[in-house]
Amino acid sequence: MKFNSRPAVALVSLSLAAVALAGCSEEASGGGNDEAGSSGACKPADVKLVGQVRNESNPYEAAWLDGGDAFAKSVDLSQERLTYDGDSTKQQEQVSQLLAGDTECLVMNILPNGDSDTPPIVEQAQEAGAYLVTQWNKPADLNVADYDHWVSHITYNGVESGKQIGDALSEAIGGSGGIIALQGILDTGAAKDRFAGLEESLAANPDVKLLDEQTANFSRQEALEVTKTLLTKHGDDVKGIWAANDDMALGALEALKQAGKEGEVAVVGIDAVPDALTAIEDGSMTATVSSDGPWQGGIGLAIGYCVATGELSMDDVADEDRAWFAEQFLIEKDNVAEFMTPATDEADFDCDNVFSRSQGAIS
Amino acid sequence: MTLTSPAEHVDTVVARPQPRRGVSFRDAGPPIALVVIFLAFSVLSDDFRTFTNVQNIMDTAAVLAVVTCGITFVLMMGSIDLSAPGLIGASAITVALLVANNRNGNDLGLLGVLVAVLVAAALGCLSGLALVLLKVPSFMTTLGVSAVGLGLATLMFNGVQPNITDEMLKSWAIDRLLGFSYLTWIAAACILVGWLVQRYSRLGRYAYAIGGAEEVLSLSGISVKPYKVAVFTMAGAFYGLAGVMVTSQLGAGLVQAGQGLDFKAITAAVVGGTLLTGGRGGVLHSTVGVLLVVVLTNGLVQVGVSPYWQGGVQGLIVVAAVAAAVLPQRRRNQVVK
Repeated sequence: MKFNSRPAVALVSLSLAAVALAGCSEEASGGGNDEAGSSGACKPADVKLVGQVRNESNPYEAAWLDGGDAFAKSVDLSQERLTYDGDSTKQQEQVSQLLAGDTECLVMNILPNGDSDTPPIVEQAQEAGAYLVTQWNKPADLNVADYDHWVSHITYNGVESGKQIGDALSEAIGGSGGIIALQGILDTGAAKDRFAGLEESLAANPDVKLLDEQTANFSRQEALEVTKTLLTKHGDDVKGIWAANDDMALGALEALKQAGKEGEVAVVGIDAVPDALTAIEDGSMTATVSSDGPWQGGIGLAIGYCVATGELSMDDVADEDRAWFAEQFLIEKDNVAEFMTPATDEADFDCDNVFSRSQGAIS
Repeated sequence: MTLTSPAEHVDTVVARPQPRRGVSFRDAGPPIALVVIFLAFSVLSDDFRTFTNVQNIMDTAAVLAVVTCGITFVLMMGSIDLSAPGLIGASAITVALLVANNRNGNDLGLLGVLVAVLVAAALGCLSGLALVLLKVPSFMTTLGVSAVGLGLATLMFNGVQPNITDEMLKSWAIDRLLGFSYLTWIAAACILVGWLVQRYSRLGRYAYAIGGAEEVLSLSGISVKPYKVAVFTMAGAFYGLAGVMVTSQLGAGLVQAGQGLDFKAITAAVVGGTLLTGGRGGVLHSTVGVLLVVVLTNGLVQVGVSPYWQGGVQGLIVVAAVAAAVLPQRRRNQVVK
């Protein structure tokens, strides 16, 4: 009995503390929220910046948070770095905790774990009056313009990137020959869109033949195993490997190495992780596509910061800038050097410039 | 002296509830299933029945076989172990940072491999200690220790992927001896060691006995706690070696190196006839299970089953195989939970 009651006491006292904190913040933010619309009048020094991604053990997401730090530094603030280990529940808990604090000048740049994780985050942020920018994942029917504190949602056109690397692969194998495709987790939008892009590219390059498509679930290890199997199945017919992300492309490269076919088969991926860039530089990989992680980490905070400080009024944010496709970059051997050292450009984060990379609204 | 007498007790305890006829049939199930599935795929696909593909299957099975070797001892005790992803991640990053790599000047070679295995063994020991000292169920302790391992790995990872340049470790995955990669031979050695431990050492026999009837052991005046800790430590060492092997295959230390391997290994062990309730099965059973799972994955790709169907088809075949394996016990164990 005694053993059981201890956690209960801890729970009760924790929840009491949370309630107390929530009470404080409501009082604090009450005044600010009554003013015109949702554009803030926070002093720049009062703004609190938070970046949240899945984990720092992934170079792309680590670079994302570094970009957030770079922006924070440019406005003399610091960014709180949060990671939730790809665990949706943990992400929601962290967001709830954040929003239980002082939310008046809170700016959040969040990578939701999946589409279904976005609505609760948006609802909470809206209620607490924090400024929210989300990236990559959102249900198609959730409309950003219905919320005034959900400033913007940024994502990338997967069909476009799938097609870009598909075209680069066709070119690398001389416009004809057999290729194999490594798909991502089949029930994710990214995997579906990227593969649809490959199919578009194949339609435009009729002499390139898709020998086989398999999923390797975005994992390097699985890609290694699947590629080895496919290489034994199709042998020398395989001239190119299309992978829906760089991790799988790197796994495929290892498989080629183990099969003694290094350099004979062209490999393309998406994401521009550092190892893929090195591989492109030394010629073992053909192409990848970059969404510019550091820029993503900075831009979400920049948009929120501009609105929170009133430099950018919500009334001036056009409807097409509420949910938009950002520009992505095809990286090949001739331009890889520019991407080897990821850096942010402060001019991108200027309040007049924050939507400059838009490729159009998400239809 | 007194040490030998308890061991005799154990033997009688284990031997009693196993009728002779049931044993042979139960043990034959999974190997027969393996042969049938192998033949079926060979008939269906020309590419499947090539020697290159058999090499490929063996190389693919190597890592899973080593993980399963470790997990088998834990399952034999009737405990469960979900710590593999964390321990493998920690060991993968450790070894990648200790052998020649692109992050620092270390070049410890085999010593680095040893340290990585020891790190994982220490974490395994932690699982065991938490189990026997704090009396937390193994399900929870190992899950926690897995998180600790992943945490350590993430700290060491520090945002930059360590790629290995160590020629020795890289060659393990690429160079071949008698047609199979060094990793495959390492896995074979692990299975042999595992089998010897299970068959001839007190640790192995007590693991069986703990799974079969822990109360009886305790009543015989044997302290089971040290053996439980030892089993978890040994399992940790196997996971550590698996982490080193993954690193050799991928040429880089990945935090997620062991992702999903815990359930894959448990599946393989159970398919091979090692029961989750403990006291039955063993390293050789589990190895057959590993081959079954790997042949299945490989065969479905070779035959050309659509990736959208593979997950489901694979699951169905696994359930069918397990059902066939436990068929002889159905009448005896009426309770299924």
